[in-house]
Amino acid sequence: MRTLEEVQATLQIAKLKEEDLQKTIHCLSFGENVSSADYCLMELDDTLCKHIQAGQSLVIRGDADERAVLCSGDKTYDLKIADTSNLLLFVPGCRTPDQLTNSQESSHLVHTQIWGFCNSYWELKRQRPRLKKLKAILMENPYEGPALGGQKENTENRYSMQDLLDRIQSSQDELKTHLKTIHACQIDGYWRVLDFDYEMKLLGHVTQLVDSESWSFNKVPLQTSLDELAPLEPKEMIEHCLDCYGKRFTENDNVFYALHEDKVCQSTALLLLQNAVKFNLREFQEVWQQSVPEGMSTRLEQLKSVALVDRASRPETICLLRVEDLSEDTLERFNHLFTIREKWTEEDITPYIQDLCGEKQTTGALLTKYARSSMQNGIKEHKLTRCCPAGCPHGGGLCDIFNMTSTQWQVTTACAG
Amino acid sequence: MELLSGSADGTSPPEWLMVELQGEMVSRHDSGLAGNVMGDLLYTKEGTPVLIVGHHILYGKQDVTHVAMETNQQGPTSTSYTVSALITRKLIFKTRPKPIITNVPKKV
Repeated sequence: MRTLEEVQATLQIAKLKEEDLQKTIHCLSFGENVSSADYCLMELDDTLCKHIQAGQSLVIRGDADERAVLCSGDKTYDLKIADTSNLLLFVPGCRTPDQLTNSQESSHLVHTQIWGFCNSYWELKRQRPRLKKLKAILMENPYEGPALGGQKENTENRYSMQDLLDRIQSSQDELKTHLKTIHACQIDGYWRVLDFDYEMKLLGHVTQLVDSESWSFNKVPLQTSLDELAPLEPKEMIEHCLDCYGKRFTENDNVFYALHEDKVCQSTALLLLQNAVKFNLREFQEVWQQSVPEGMSTRLEQLKSVALVDRASRPETICLLRVEDLSEDTLERFNHLFTIREKWTEEDITPYIQDLCGEKQTTGALLTKYARSSMQNGIKEHKLTRCCPAGCPHGGGLCDIFNMTSTQWQVTTACAG
Repeated sequence: MELLSGSADGTSPPEWLMVELQGEMVSRHDSGLAGNVMGDLLYTKEGTPVLIVGHHILYGKQDVTHVAMETNQQGPTSTSYTVSALITRKLIFKTRPKPIITNVPKKV
């Protein structure tokens, strides 16, 4: 072990004056068991740091074939290893100048051990949770209503909350929010998604009751609905339907629901659209308006992100295109969208890329990155950008060189990403 | 699924200091790092960290960082890790090490 005299001799040779230095000198040495293998370094943001300081846990989720994500209670992060050419040493017992008391009169040594070192660390990047899998696994066994007669209910492929948390790469809060979005509910302790036809059947019962009782859509009484519809469907399912399609409120100790016109109209449209590849737009709009409950008005805006209107074709058409059916990967999504349609206006494409945006990203930024815009007839349109093949990091399928055939398009020589 | 826990009793993990150096550190006789002296760490009155390693002297600065570290807990089959420490400060030595001249030839 080095002595104070040895250190002071070194200082003298190094031409450092003791009076310019603080009194505490750390003599660093490597611990006997030091290695880089024992420790794993991870970069945290402020929120996660406070999380750990409060003694809370983080979970790493992912199947063997998926990229791992880190989850706190309400956020999801991508994990990426970052290499550095710098050497990072961990020194538990070492103090920084502001932590030293400096009460000592003379110089003294503190023998401090280096416990470990690293050349790399995990970088965390906040990202949207991977929730597409959630609907996919719940659709393995959608709930079609209570078992009829002597039929036995299918009990395979049912998932509890814990099962879902094990399989889905998302924080718990984000998972719960998505369960609500896809109208899932708990039945016998398992989370189930409803078969669409069954869901529409429930909605039909409710809207027909509202019609026959001449209630306002904004004030549907819960108890009366449950009593009247009990012979037809389980009370829990009626109430679930009201929760999905209405807003609950209380007045004079009675519970009511205000039905969402937009949600009801949208689901009615989906029911019609799922039966054919394309519809004549005018005909569709007529049938759609006739199919929704009396008093509700249909508007094409209600179908943003679930249906695509083609105003360029003669006659104009509409078809089903749900954003939830598209890839979660940004590049794949853009590829798919531009295969469906070569050019998009910002208005048409925004509902289909909105969910891809990062924390502080706008759809405009995404379009700038992945597409090229041009003006036609005063309307700005976007085309997919192709990358140069040589050395393009994107690889696979997207590398073509554009030929300029019209003044509207621009040859891309720079990589999109 | 792997679990990273803060600590068993809900308290904050200890805080360690990180020292960041550019390049690689090797021992003089290739005897490995374990058990060997690395160098002397001093601070000037203004708070600048100074590191003397072998016959080099490096000047650095103090910086803020947010980093956590885990070690394996309960053996290789467990998927539970505890955070050993939080690192919020580091000393970074980015400047070129200056050689300390020990032998000044006498003027003839």
